[in-house]
Amino acid sequence: MKLNRRDLLKAAAAAGALNVAWPLAVGLTPAEAREAAEALGADYDPAPFTLGVASGDPQPYSVLLWTRLAPEPLAAEQRLPETVEVRWTVAEDPRLRRVVAEGTTAASATLGHSVHIVVEGLRPGRHYWYGFRALGKTSRVGRTKTAPTGRIGKALFATANCQAFHDGYYAAHRAIARENLDFVIHLGDYIYEHGQVGGVPESHVRDHDGPEILTLGDYRKRHALYKGDRSLREAHAAHPWFLTWDDHEVVNDYSGTGGGAPFMKRRAAAYQAWYEHMPHRDSFGAMALPDPEIHRVRRWGELLELTVLDLRSYRSAQNLPDGTILGTDQKAWLKQGIDKAPDAWHVWANSIMLSQLRSPSGSGYMFTDQWDGFLAERREVLGHVHAGGLEDLVVLTGDWHSAFVDDIRVDFDRPDSPLVGTEFTAHSVTSGAYSADWNATNGPLMGRANPHLKYFEGNRYGYDVYEVTPERFSTHMRVIGDRRDPASPVSTLTTFHVDRGKPGSYEDPGTKGSPAQYRRD
Amino acid sequence: MNLVVNGDAESGPGGGADPVEAVPGWRIAQGAPALIAYSLGGGYPTPDDPGPAARGSRFFSGGTSARTALVQDIELPARGATGRREVDAGRVRYAVSGWLGGYAGQEDGARLSVEFRAADGTPLALSVLGPVSAAERLGRTALVECAAEAAVPPGARGARVLLVFTRSGGGTSNDGYADAVSLTLHATGGRP
Repeated sequence: MKLNRRDLLKAAAAAGALNVAWPLAVGLTPAEAREAAEALGADYDPAPFTLGVASGDPQPYSVLLWTRLAPEPLAAEQRLPETVEVRWTVAEDPRLRRVVAEGTTAASATLGHSVHIVVEGLRPGRHYWYGFRALGKTSRVGRTKTAPTGRIGKALFATANCQAFHDGYYAAHRAIARENLDFVIHLGDYIYEHGQVGGVPESHVRDHDGPEILTLGDYRKRHALYKGDRSLREAHAAHPWFLTWDDHEVVNDYSGTGGGAPFMKRRAAAYQAWYEHMPHRDSFGAMALPDPEIHRVRRWGELLELTVLDLRSYRSAQNLPDGTILGTDQKAWLKQGIDKAPDAWHVWANSIMLSQLRSPSGSGYMFTDQWDGFLAERREVLGHVHAGGLEDLVVLTGDWHSAFVDDIRVDFDRPDSPLVGTEFTAHSVTSGAYSADWNATNGPLMGRANPHLKYFEGNRYGYDVYEVTPERFSTHMRVIGDRRDPASPVSTLTTFHVDRGKPGSYEDPGTKGSPAQYRRD
Repeated sequence: MNLVVNGDAESGPGGGADPVEAVPGWRIAQGAPALIAYSLGGGYPTPDDPGPAARGSRFFSGGTSARTALVQDIELPARGATGRREVDAGRVRYAVSGWLGGYAGQEDGARLSVEFRAADGTPLALSVLGPVSAAERLGRTALVECAAEAAVPPGARGARVLLVFTRSGGGTSNDGYADAVSLTLHATGGRP
């Protein structure tokens, strides 16, 4: 019998039996769970490439390709041979006829039958198409792009962050897939670790698969559940991605160090599952799995230097006098990068807010899980930016589920201290923000308490697109109309610009009248 | 044959609870380990505590760093019964094991992992052991045997062994313990 999604949800909710109707409830086999998930709106690519394809970490001559063999995506382990040969092909055309690279690799059960392939020998600044073949089946074709070299006139890329599965459909990713982008950066909270939230369909469009996730099998299933939204798979297949993470890939507000053995075991499971499901290149670092090395510097021609930060793996507890959000080694690495930075736009992929955010009352901070909990280190890093003369710094941030634009000052408590950059904090893909009432009340209060805050908007969801030229860095805030609509239309709420060589941002006059809960100017 | 060099902490400086600056066979990637004698006392594992039967004289601990990491890169044999041809034909398996533990009811721990890598360094397989919780040690100072085995994936050319010790809570001593770290390869003959 073909189930009607809405009727099923209504009936289950009325019966108080959503935990039974919703997939992956205790007692369901993986196949039954998938069937239930599909009845409730999830879908998957044909097996064994159910979770799609992806590419990541593009460089001028190299890109990483990813897929995972998961005939039963909602099983902790696949009924597959211990190792499976996977053939991969890279071509200059979508039909994979003009092949430029191909080979085979082994997908191991120990890594969830995931596949990570570093393709070398490519040409800079070019689109390529790729696909996989295994177990007699062929994957969808993905498109990727290598980084250009030399002078370029423009770069166009997007960030996405915070995509709670239960809070909405991924219309933002659907739109990202349709943008003509060079690459995408995910700023973290790709999955959420908590259990079911209930309230489907009145408050949530769908739900998690079960209780809080703890084991490698749990994290694998959660990643697979999230990839059951076809728009996410489309966005991965359309562009190469750079990746960082925030807390919910493991557990809310965690610090990467200092936990006891049970937590360290859980962290390792979460990190491994993250690696198994991401187009992440991990072949160059000094460490090894299950501790993937996230932070890196990449170039997009001579136009843009991208610094990807890892603000979770090495952080200490919050609010310590000598606390660290970067860890000793990453901080030294970041400062070295500042010292030898080329003349380019300097973009930091920063999962959690860098700028100070005092609470609406003006006393204390909103959240010390962000850089506000690591004051000495922030002063040290921003002081180093200023002392080193780093110009044209733009920091791209997620986590907050609302849009902010901040002036980055060396000392946020002194409005006259040097202005060294701009931080754009983007709307979330779906994860719930504060209420419209809260935003209307507190937007102006936050503005008053934070003189470096220029803009706040918290009633919408979406992603940011960045249009970068040698002269100007423009942030277009794309917003969706309705999280409950998988194909919700997208519009540009407003645009902010940063001119080259002039610290500070300004809003485009054409969109300055758009809705917001706070504007300084 | 155990491919791990000095997996038993018997070589190099040490013997006391003080961290050392170098460990033969290993690269110290984070923190600094201590190679402690079972005879040291002071609450550290003794010859009578649960641990390897043939435990030698010393074991690894995390020293005084919150996190200490040791890395060892192993090149897989080029030829022979577990050489590249056999690996690429899917006829080699690996076994990784170690004794991992901690102190009394504390949750300091040691984790052992091995990542098999392609020639370009891309991970192809992974086994992670530990850390062992206080509950798994029944609340007593002990080292517990942990082991895993799996197929060496075709294309694997090296293995990176990672031994991580983590301190929980306050205090100075990182009481994650490890000993008898081993990685072996086995030909399976005709059985892939």
